[in-house]
Amino acid sequence: MSTRVSPSPTPTEVVPAAAARVRRPRPSFETWSWFFMRVSGLVLVFLALAHFALTHIVNDVVETDAAFVAERWDNPLWRLFDWTLLALALLHGLNGLRWSIDDYVRRPALRAGVKAVVYTVSGVLFAYGTFTIVTFAS
Amino acid sequence: MSTSTVYRGRSGQWAFVGHRISGVLVFLFLLLHIVDVSLINLSTELYDEVHELYGNVLLRLFEVGLLLALLFHSLNGLRVVAVDFFPGAVRNERRLLSAVVILTLVAGLPCGYVILKPFIDGTLLG
Repeated sequence: MSTRVSPSPTPTEVVPAAAARVRRPRPSFETWSWFFMRVSGLVLVFLALAHFALTHIVNDVVETDAAFVAERWDNPLWRLFDWTLLALALLHGLNGLRWSIDDYVRRPALRAGVKAVVYTVSGVLFAYGTFTIVTFAS
Repeated sequence: MSTSTVYRGRSGQWAFVGHRISGVLVFLFLLLHIVDVSLINLSTELYDEVHELYGNVLLRLFEVGLLLALLFHSLNGLRVVAVDFFPGAVRNERRLLSAVVILTLVAGLPCGYVILKPFIDGTLLG
């Protein structure tokens, strides 16, 4: 049998708690990004499907006119609901698109360019949507 | 042996492709939707005029597609989260994906009928 060269412990060896902690890598940006996708995804299942049900199933889409919006947005909680949906959906979608761009756009300059366009459009529309929800007055 | 995650065809690959495509489609619609809702601050008449288009049969079909994309992305996302928390679930991978597809259709088709109903009724009753 050959001499063990690797310092890594076999499963039968006892690893002291402090050593185990050192071995665990520090959460990076991508770890948080992964975590955010799980948490925002779970919230969005309820927010997005409730929103769709309300505007297409419970009410017909033609009934959701300006008067319908005005009545709903009389209640600040609906504004909060809509803004939370806007913010989470945009960030969740933007992060998913970022992963896709990294997968398919390999040329560094083109990748930077595509990301710049996507981030700018999303940022502007997030600001515009927030402005709409906050400033609307019936 | 490769250390990265590579799907070699089969169900996992299709789930991945479906998740990406449905996600991008919903995201693109979200960008459009921010613009059409924001018209309400420019003029409520303009909002109503543009909004009426969503009652058009072509856009109703589009809404059914949007719903199917939303449902698939939601349910497949739940499957991904479930596998993250219970790695043993990978052994039932194909059955889980079948459940996602079946639930998408079971929830999506009746709701799709509700969305198209005004058009169906309108055609039938003249």
